Amino acid sequence: MDDGRRRRGEGPQVNRVPRCLVFDAGVVMSNIRRSSSLLRRFLCWSEVQSSRTASCSSSLFLPDSDVGLVLKSQSTDVFQNLALEDWIDTNVDLQQRGVLLLWRNRPAVVIGRHQNPWTECNLPAMRRMGIPVARRRSGGGTVFHDLGNLNLTFFASKKEYDRRRNLKVVTEALRRVRPGLDVQATERFDILLNGHLKISGTASRLSRKSSYHHCTLLHSADRSALSAVLRPSCAGIHSNATPSVPSPVANLLDHAPTLQWEELLDGLVHQYNTEFGLSSASSLVDPMDESTFPDISRMEKELRSWDWTFGKTPKFSVQTQLELTDSSARCSAQLDMEVKNGLIQSCDLHVPADWLPARLSGELATSLVGERFCPQRAAAGVAALQRAESDELQSRLHILCDAVMSAMG
Amino acid sequence: MAACGLFRSLSSSVAAVLPLLARSAPLSPLRLACKPYVRRTVASCSRLSAALKFTDKHEWIRVEDGGIGTVGISNFAQEALGDVVYCGLPEVGTQLAQQDEFGALESVKAASELYSPLTGEVVEVNTLLADNPGLVNKSCYKDGWLMKMTIANPAEVDALMDEAAYERYIRSIED
Repeated sequence: MDDGRRRRGEGPQVNRVPRCLVFDAGVVMSNIRRSSSLLRRFLCWSEVQSSRTASCSSSLFLPDSDVGLVLKSQSTDVFQNLALEDWIDTNVDLQQRGVLLLWRNRPAVVIGRHQNPWTECNLPAMRRMGIPVARRRSGGGTVFHDLGNLNLTFFASKKEYDRRRNLKVVTEALRRVRPGLDVQATERFDILLNGHLKISGTASRLSRKSSYHHCTLLHSADRSALSAVLRPSCAGIHSNATPSVPSPVANLLDHAPTLQWEELLDGLVHQYNTEFGLSSASSLVDPMDESTFPDISRMEKELRSWDWTFGKTPKFSVQTQLELTDSSARCSAQLDMEVKNGLIQSCDLHVPADWLPARLSGELATSLVGERFCPQRAAAGVAALQRAESDELQSRLHILCDAVMSAMG
Repeated sequence: MAACGLFRSLSSSVAAVLPLLARSAPLSPLRLACKPYVRRTVASCSRLSAALKFTDKHEWIRVEDGGIGTVGISNFAQEALGDVVYCGLPEVGTQLAQQDEFGALESVKAASELYSPLTGEVVEVNTLLADNPGLVNKSCYKDGWLMKMTIANPAEVDALMDEAAYERYIRSIED
């Protein structure tokens, strides 16, 4: 999924419609109980550890092959929802029927399987805004999630994997709820509004026996936040990671001002049923309910981990110039780094020797090798270098360290 | 590998790509849907003469001197996958059990998981694929190899399909 790089001067900012998830607790609980029992009838508990192939008992299938399964996640946590996708992909027998999952997240940036978070998003800005970055298991580009951005995941067997058909569900649903809305799926599996504004991007994953195709749908996302976070953290990165394709975006609500969230979801569920000849009511699910989704918290933990999010970044190099200024002089230094698995493999700092002795810049560079490519780690490394240097040298060492940290996002 | 369950919906695409092994532009899925189906064999992609064994996930393994197995994906698999844009491969030293996920190939179709054909340890990965992932499409049996691994259990190799059996397997999927 790679919607969201907004070009400058793209148009007026959208007035953000407040999204409040207000639940009647009693209704929620009875929905969850009903959905849990419904799920158990569908689910085939594959014994992932002991057997390599999912074994399914036919008694777990419903007699009616035309009953589908539409799930709505109760969670707005990106890691919980990604774990829910993983869980369904691994554990649900999709050979006979597919599953549609509808979900949305509190603000987050989601990068594709083989992407570089430092090039795709502004990590320092996100830290200040409390916006996490998550790496998903499907391919594709980077996307901004918030409560105005609907995610749809179409789970199917590999035989039934058909992105075009899934996107037809979305475009037909939109045309039904708002006839005359100009929405078209492209060859890249984006959905464009009025021929040029991206409202949806797609990504997918193929695994042992199953597949999923997920896409976003911009209803009322915060486009100014989107624009602020979908820019690089730092300059000078050279990488073969898969890049995003920037596109101008739009919110559906801007072009169909009366299209409320619930009407959109109802329309999509209805069209999903129509397209696949099913009769599914949607069920609310809680991804953190281990009794329905055994082992899901382990999956969520893995998705949340630094090793997955940052450590899985394809090898990259950084070549950048640092501008160093103190009260008496300014100069440029050259920073060269190789980063693999998110860890600094090598670091060269070429600082003019008359600004800072080579032994000090050399020691700083050495202290960074083996550390995570992360400004907090750099700061810790430099603290170890504090010694009885002159005030001026200590101050310059600090300035150098600050510059190196900014170069790491 | 995981992409090959797509075959039924992509059967017409197989013929479309057959004469175009050296193509550079990715085929549009819309165009792929319109070409007629033509049967083809494993031999359409040239390969070395050493015997290949195949898994039902369309990976091949070739046992080299010293008991090291070279692993890649078959021509059937690379055609189903489409143009590979990124190869996510394991670290040298990774221990793999048979059928463990060991990486993923990303193409315009999807990110497709790779499953280890055998139990063993990764001793080498094809670093050429970092800058040239298209080698997997252009030379799936030779320059587009993915990784080399030790063979902890030679019986696992014996149980895999030989080339003739694999061709029969592909035909059974196609039918």
